[in-house]
Amino acid sequence: MGYEPKLVCFSCKFGWGYLKDPGDLEAGASLSTPVECSGRLDALHLLRAFKEGADGVLILACEEGHCHFQEGNFRTLKMLYLLQDVLSAHGIEKERVRMEFSRDPEGTSIPDRLARMRASLSALGPLNRTFL
Amino acid sequence: MWHTVSKGTAAVEPAVKQYLPPCQEQCPINEDIQRTNVLISLLPEDPDKAAPGILQIGDYLYEKNPLFPVCGYVCGLCELECNYHAKGGAIKRRLLKRFISDTYIPYLEGRDEWSLIKHKENVAIVGGGPAGLMAGYDLSKRGYRVTIFEASDRLGGALWLIPRYRLPERVLVSTLEAMVRMVGMDVKFNTRIGEGKWNLDRLRNEGYKAVFIAQGTPTPRTLTFGRDPVEGQDLSGVMYGHTFLYEVSHGNIRPDYFSGKKILVIGGGNVAFDVARTARRLGGETTVVALEREDKTSRDGIPADVEEIRGAWEEGIRIVYSRGVQRIIGEGERMRQIACPRCVQVYDDKGFHPVFDSADTLLLDGDVLIVTVGQGPDWTPLRSEGLVDDRGRLAVDPLTLQSRNKEWVFVGGDLRKIGFMVEAMHDGLAAAESIERYLQGLDMTEGRKRLFEAQDIPLRRHYLSEPEVVWIPPEKRMHFQLFERGFTLKEAIEEARRCLSCGPCIACKACVSIGLRESLNPVEVLADRCCGCGICVSACFYNAIQLKDVEMGRISVTDPFKCKSCGMCVAACPSGARTLRDDPLEGILNRTYSQLS
Repeated sequence: MGYEPKLVCFSCKFGWGYLKDPGDLEAGASLSTPVECSGRLDALHLLRAFKEGADGVLILACEEGHCHFQEGNFRTLKMLYLLQDVLSAHGIEKERVRMEFSRDPEGTSIPDRLARMRASLSALGPLNRTFL
Repeated sequence: MWHTVSKGTAAVEPAVKQYLPPCQEQCPINEDIQRTNVLISLLPEDPDKAAPGILQIGDYLYEKNPLFPVCGYVCGLCELECNYHAKGGAIKRRLLKRFISDTYIPYLEGRDEWSLIKHKENVAIVGGGPAGLMAGYDLSKRGYRVTIFEASDRLGGALWLIPRYRLPERVLVSTLEAMVRMVGMDVKFNTRIGEGKWNLDRLRNEGYKAVFIAQGTPTPRTLTFGRDPVEGQDLSGVMYGHTFLYEVSHGNIRPDYFSGKKILVIGGGNVAFDVARTARRLGGETTVVALEREDKTSRDGIPADVEEIRGAWEEGIRIVYSRGVQRIIGEGERMRQIACPRCVQVYDDKGFHPVFDSADTLLLDGDVLIVTVGQGPDWTPLRSEGLVDDRGRLAVDPLTLQSRNKEWVFVGGDLRKIGFMVEAMHDGLAAAESIERYLQGLDMTEGRKRLFEAQDIPLRRHYLSEPEVVWIPPEKRMHFQLFERGFTLKEAIEEARRCLSCGPCIACKACVSIGLRESLNPVEVLADRCCGCGICVSACFYNAIQLKDVEMGRISVTDPFKCKSCGMCVAACPSGARTLRDDPLEGILNRTYSQLS
């Protein structure tokens, strides 16, 4: 007990929390990282998060068909499928990277989403860093 | 709630050629459609929280287009060119603007006028319609003292001919009133220039250094058959659509005026349908007789909008296509019947050239005949003031709108070329620019001919279909209240989100103005890293990237006008050759990572 997973949360600025001050959003999640579009993230960004000490990564993206930049969310999803296979080949559970597709301008649902992700990371236990 | 700040004002760069979203390219005044669509899409869903945002959007639109609350009810020209047209239906921009207008009007009515310093010359505007008002508004903001000379007792000109079921009176009145008040224009009503004691010389003597003439087209065109006027137009019961709509707008016609009467409307344009639908609402059994064919795709197709035709048809208006009027048959002093031969051709290769088959003539009974076959300017004052050339046409430069006969006179609006409201507004703005250049002694044409190119539709797998526009059912709309339901806040956000924002970012900057992004960071390609593989070409949704042959091989290049700085190519590039200049992402990530250890 006492294990507190470190969770990095990337969120798309066009779909999530844009009506809140950035400060408010961060108060809810200390590792909240708003980006212009989830499509800006590449595999190296996520791998680096694990390398630097994260136990899990949550990506909050826009709903299908509603990406401001057309399909950045879908690009990232495709990348994620491939990355998950690479990760599991190296002993890192697929569940440690997750994408959620919705829209929440006020960001009210973010704390709950983070809590759920943290709970599933707690169940997995600390990340196996052997191959990182 | 976000707050727009001025650092992000959408700027159309002073390049010779400029990409715009197709809607803005189509709009004669190049309204910032994409920017305001994006801002609407980012509104909160709670109406109370959204209200300040809606007013900010309204203020932004108002700055450039003080007639936008009216446009939101009657225009929609931009929708014709929307990239979404072929993919599920154009973005309902008119209804989005109407949505802003509905919140903005009450606020506009109480808005404080601007304190403008009017230190420049006196300018006279002749005619208080959309063209004249826009010129006056723009010139006032530039510091000129503007006086509008209006022939009637109210401003707005032909806007008053738009039936109330399409444009509520309050929207029109409040918009016109605010326009004059906000910039402090003087208006002289019941003053007709070119008649009686008011003429251009007198304006000059009274100290007006330039004049813009936009008197519109107050004269209805009469009915002709071949080259001759159709006989019987002086019979009682024959009237002109223009005059009819004018009287209706003045409230001079009783609500049951046509009850039990058979009304024949001649014409196939939108005004003819306005007349027919108005006559129907006044109780008349109405028939539209159009020269053109039903098939809009043919050269001889009917010019009225599909929505107008559908609306009329739903309201029980009979439409007779491909018929001209040869004779009006009277009974004593009254008209009783019209003889309508079949029209076999409206246009030939040279233009309007109707051909009839008199063997096939239809007789139509009617108590009232309303001729709505177009209107033209009042030529008398134009001739007497010497503004026509020796062939009797208006002598005016189409780019600068400067008269070729009198350099201090500018002419525009419907008077110059009949068109949509927003085309007249464009003339008003063009005249204002010309008047400024003329009075400041600047070059009249330099840098004015701007070429805009519309951007293509971005690539994506799924396109969303358009929302259904709700019309009140025909049996419940036989009145002069609005028949089209506007968007709710939720619907407006949904529809604005559907917009692909396909235009370039430099002409929008919505996200920058509300602080969603700090800046639009241009893409840079490190030539020594780029291997010319072309993955970025397919990664770009906007067709902004091309491969270019260089000395050492092949590299990718990005068109800065088309680039949206979205970073898709940066994420896709396998060799790290692509970066965004001063990309804030790296800093954001580093901060997050530093908190991990």
